[in-house]
Amino acid sequence: MAMAAGALISLPAWANSWTSETVQLTSKFLSSSQDDLLAQIVETIIPVTDTPGAKALNVHQFIQKIVADCYDKPAQETFLNGLTAIDEQAQKTFGKPFREGDATQRTALLTQFSQSTLPAQKDFYSMVKGMTIRGYLNSEYVMTNLTHYQFIPGHYYGCVPVPTKAISQTPTK
Amino acid sequence: MANLNIDAKAQNTYDAIVIGSGISGGWAAKELTGKGLRTLVLERGRDVRHVTDYPTTMTQPWEFEHRGQLTKEVKDANPIISKCYAFYEGTQQFFVKDAEHPYIQEKPFDWIRGYQVGGKSLMWARQTQRWSDFDFEGPARDGFAVDWPIRYADLAPWYSYVERFAGITGNKDGLATLPDGEFLPPHEWNCVEKHFQQKVAGRYKDRHVIMGRAAHITKPQPIHLQQGRAQCQHRTICERGCPFGGYFSSNSSTIPWAARTGKMTLRPDSVVHSIIYDEQKGRATGVRIIDANTKQMQEFYAHIIFLNAAALNSNLVLLNSTSHRFPNGLGNDSGVLGKYVAFHNYRAGISAQYDGNLDSTTDGRRPNGPYIPRFRNVYKQETDFLRGYAAGFSANRVSRSNQDGIGADLKQSLLNPELGGWSVGSHMMGETIPKETNYVALDANQKDPFGIPQLKISIAYDDNDDKMVKDYQEQMTEMFTAAGFTNIRVRDDRRNPGLDIHEMGGVRMGKDPKTSMLNKWNQLHAVKNVFVTDGSSMTSTSTQNPSLTYMAMSARSVDYAVKAMKKGLV
Repeated sequence: MAMAAGALISLPAWANSWTSETVQLTSKFLSSSQDDLLAQIVETIIPVTDTPGAKALNVHQFIQKIVADCYDKPAQETFLNGLTAIDEQAQKTFGKPFREGDATQRTALLTQFSQSTLPAQKDFYSMVKGMTIRGYLNSEYVMTNLTHYQFIPGHYYGCVPVPTKAISQTPTK
Repeated sequence: MANLNIDAKAQNTYDAIVIGSGISGGWAAKELTGKGLRTLVLERGRDVRHVTDYPTTMTQPWEFEHRGQLTKEVKDANPIISKCYAFYEGTQQFFVKDAEHPYIQEKPFDWIRGYQVGGKSLMWARQTQRWSDFDFEGPARDGFAVDWPIRYADLAPWYSYVERFAGITGNKDGLATLPDGEFLPPHEWNCVEKHFQQKVAGRYKDRHVIMGRAAHITKPQPIHLQQGRAQCQHRTICERGCPFGGYFSSNSSTIPWAARTGKMTLRPDSVVHSIIYDEQKGRATGVRIIDANTKQMQEFYAHIIFLNAAALNSNLVLLNSTSHRFPNGLGNDSGVLGKYVAFHNYRAGISAQYDGNLDSTTDGRRPNGPYIPRFRNVYKQETDFLRGYAAGFSANRVSRSNQDGIGADLKQSLLNPELGGWSVGSHMMGETIPKETNYVALDANQKDPFGIPQLKISIAYDDNDDKMVKDYQEQMTEMFTAAGFTNIRVRDDRRNPGLDIHEMGGVRMGKDPKTSMLNKWNQLHAVKNVFVTDGSSMTSTSTQNPSLTYMAMSARSVDYAVKAMKKGLV
């Protein structure tokens, strides 16, 4: 019904031609090795299971864009220093860069950051985790396939019984 | 040479000129062209055509580069407009950037503007309540400003007229304080809103919670289909422009309707400098504009002129229209031009939680919400402040996911949010008292980029507003407590005047030319062929959102103007 009404309206070309792929980074904020590290961090926070993880959904690209375009200098520094600190800590803890650690090692290291007594570490982690969650939940894949976002609901029903449905997620072993 | 001039003048002469194409200008244009007048509509901003010029209307949330967030660059460059609730990554193209039109804040004032065809009618919040005689009789009863020259009965048929065309959703509630209108079916309540309504009704005989009345087509009538508008689809991203025409805007409704008559000439990028006054003829003969692209000044001529530039800009245009006869601004014999400007007090709000009705939730989205009409000082003066406030109210079921942990477990909990309790909230909309000390004026030295004097704005809250904030917080706390809401928190965000986007007055209507600018037909007392039907004409502000009243006044005023013109009176 809603779409039938929509079909009456011819939309200009730009309305259908803009995808996240066509949106280019305005500036190269991170080096490719930093970008790779960030991808590993977001993937550790939200890994691939039977559905894509944060890296495959380009969440690290989203974070880079937000930090580069929306954050002020101090926040950007917290972010960049945090990336450096992650690799330094990885060297100390398991003797190699973060990227080369296994999932258990990487998870342990990020958990350590989340509980750190150093404000810089804690701030960095909560910043990255918050943006990872936001970027993941707002990704096209998740909104379309998992949380069933409706661009055009076409209605508002005020009192409906609480549904009993859950999205099944079985972590891959 | 002389012939050339005569030809040029003839080419630039119309029956009517409308300055501005927002809510009220769009209506003036529709009515004038509908009555057969060749009408020139001057708009200072660019053209924005329905659908084709809504670049983000089909943008999915994930397609926004920053998911809707404003960049640091935009925020730093625009400290004023960034405060506006409707200004985000998807709507930046419709708001005036701070640097584009400078003004002087003698006292802090956040001036929110939309310069384009359609003006702010593209991004407005679409609430449309009628005024009642409790509003129109306010100044006379409570001894402030001047008596309104009109009453509800003067506007009632015009309210009906504009409601039918615009498409207004609402419920006939039978309240004296908020007259019923020509409504399309009302929006649905949710359980908690219903619960609050019943609790309030049970406890207070003169307080009501009703469903808001809003400019949304919930059930298209033939007149809406003729406009090419369809049913509202509940997308709730109206401020980006609606491809369905589901809400009322000049762009989707009045302007294309006026264009279809073949009588309208729409001229965007035309910054009005002043209205031309002819000393010999004793009337206005036209309008001077500066072309926004060429920066050249040009003149257009007409028999009648409608000024609808938005409240403060209509003040600016009149103040800048000086002549030997009117050295202090067109029609300003009384000296009140630019004074007695008022606005709406939106400072206070309240939020709480509710742990009942946990077996039900909502489905879909609603571009509207419940509304609490004014209940303070209505039938008698009962507080130590004048007038009162209306309030918005809404409840929604919160869905929360546990964001602790990391890895597959975190992912699992993110994708399986738990329904929490209900969150409820309200904000006030208080009437402010027009005062001589709240004024706008032209600055003697500073000019805008077009060489037009900058507007100096000197508007502030007073004790009456502070008392009202406190009373709203106390009364709503009592009502929320009675409804069993918990964790009640009140706030006063002390926002600057202006952020309400309801500034009114400065060119007020009144009975006496000595104390007002306009008569009961929105006609300048001293210049009979100039009409002002936007927010600047308001004698007082009431508590209701004003746009519907501007629409009704515009239609009524055009009807009078054209009849008077045919009788040779203007």
